[in-house]
Amino acid sequence: MPWKLLLRNVLGHPVRSLLTVGAVTVAVFLICMLQAVTSGLSRTLDASAANRLLVQSAVSLFVDLPLAYQQKLAAVPGVEATCKWQWFGGRYEQDKGGFFAQFGIDPQTFAPSYPEMTVVAGDYAQFAATRTSCIVGEQLADKYGWKLGQTVPLGGTIFTRTDGRPWEFTIAAIYHSNSPAFDEQSLFFHFDYLHESLEQGGARGPQGVGVYMLRLAPGTDPLDVQRSVDAMFENGPQRVQTTTEAEFNRQFISMLGDVPALLRLIGGAVLFAIFFAVLNTMLLAGRERTRDLGILKALGFANGVAAWLLIGESLLLCLTGAALALGLAGALEQPFAAATATFIPGFGFDRNTLLLGGGIALVTGVVSGLLPGLRAARLGVTEALQELG
Amino acid sequence: MPVAITLRSVTKSYSRGGETLRVLDELDLDMDAATFYALMGPSGSGKTTLLNLVGGLDQADSGVVQVGDIDLAELDGGELAQWRAEHVGFVFQGFNLLPVLSARENVELPLLLAPLSKRQRREQAERALELVGLQDRMDHKPRELSGGQEQRVAIARAIATDPQVILADEPTGDLDRNTADAVLELLQRLNRELHKTILMVTHDPQAAGYADKVIHLDKGKLGRIDDNRASSAAGGR
Repeated sequence: MPWKLLLRNVLGHPVRSLLTVGAVTVAVFLICMLQAVTSGLSRTLDASAANRLLVQSAVSLFVDLPLAYQQKLAAVPGVEATCKWQWFGGRYEQDKGGFFAQFGIDPQTFAPSYPEMTVVAGDYAQFAATRTSCIVGEQLADKYGWKLGQTVPLGGTIFTRTDGRPWEFTIAAIYHSNSPAFDEQSLFFHFDYLHESLEQGGARGPQGVGVYMLRLAPGTDPLDVQRSVDAMFENGPQRVQTTTEAEFNRQFISMLGDVPALLRLIGGAVLFAIFFAVLNTMLLAGRERTRDLGILKALGFANGVAAWLLIGESLLLCLTGAALALGLAGALEQPFAAATATFIPGFGFDRNTLLLGGGIALVTGVVSGLLPGLRAARLGVTEALQELG
Repeated sequence: MPVAITLRSVTKSYSRGGETLRVLDELDLDMDAATFYALMGPSGSGKTTLLNLVGGLDQADSGVVQVGDIDLAELDGGELAQWRAEHVGFVFQGFNLLPVLSARENVELPLLLAPLSKRQRREQAERALELVGLQDRMDHKPRELSGGQEQRVAIARAIATDPQVILADEPTGDLDRNTADAVLELLQRLNRELHKTILMVTHDPQAAGYADKVIHLDKGKLGRIDDNRASSAAGGR
């Protein structure tokens, strides 16, 4: 196999080769990104806890449930603990363009219900004991350079203070998460602090609870609890929908549409585009090399060598593009993961994603080189030499 | 070891525009080993077709083409390619060098098919280039060489594997007189010093003058064979 010739053929048209490699790089990187998002979502759902149920309004996630429901939910057989989750929707005063989630929760039941959360700085007991304090995720703290004891000012968008000043929460603890279903980019504070402010007229906003989390006792069948809870509030005043944590997350993601199907569709389109681009390059190369192929065959090179010269060239272009794309993916994994951590905590270029990118490049290379390669193999020597002009 | 070439009742036809054109018609021809032949004839007389058949680039419709003791009709595509690599060197009118490779790399190409180490290939290619007087142009790409130099590289490539037969199709067709004479002298030297059997297609009577014998083809049949050595001897040259 004349490897040097193969390499020189690629280098002989630097602009064309560069453009083809560039196109493959962008396409493989994009496919890897889409796959990382899809598998990140999947990982997030897979990591959802089986012993936690979420109760929300049957009308919409944006409709609050009465506070009185919590006591009734706690009394349902099989429910070990309950915890409020209230979306706050505040805006960080120092980064008004940025976004991170904030929730009002019940500190007493929150930590025991989420064992995937570990306090890495500060003291959870101090957070639980101090009404205006908060606990923040490690990534969020790193992002803004927050330290323990620091005050985080949040402008209310749903809940506004009547004195016009921002809400202030003091960081009492920083947590780390070992589950992709629980991100490190959120801030949690006392639900009671919010509620009391609303009750006492210190703030304006809807009164109620967005979601109740139910932690189930070991051995409890979640379906039984789901049925009991839904039946309990069937006649109002506010009907509820009880789901597993995985289902809740799935529904939350599906509010954007069928994301995985959409991503697969885009990935497929990118794949087709890159296949045709490489095929076009290789057909052009095959036509241009008719003379060279005739010479090689006259010298005694077999038909297979002629075919492999073109398939090899196609493979070289595609694999170079894939290598650059995978390198790029490795370099950009952390920044992308940080940027998407709130929505896709499981985002990451795992081994399967990288193998998929490499595999796509490999198959594109072989298939794109096959057509001109077969033509090269079938080319008669005299026919090829006659094309010399 | 020098080889002879034998053709017996060789017929070759091509279809063009729905018509069948018989290019070689029951041709019988014997060519001696280690002899320099020129092949002449008007256009369409079958010169290049004959060269292609002898070189195993094409196969006869009927008849026998024998080079040495090999009947080429008995070889399949792969065997024919291997036989070409081992026994035949080609020189074309348009030089047919690969533009992306240097002179040395072009000459090394056919050696890739031989069981040689990288170093042996390189040494053999350099020897061939030295033989054609291009030892100082080894690393030049074809576009950096003159027409005569390109043809000499092509000849070096043809002899690099030390084949018994060299087939040249109008090797001086694109060259000026002086350069053409230099190339023809080189072919003559390969025949006389290395005992190669050379078959050269040419339209040029002056080029044919360098050959030992001149075969004249006419409408696919053998016209006559002139023996330049006999006429030289008779002319007292």
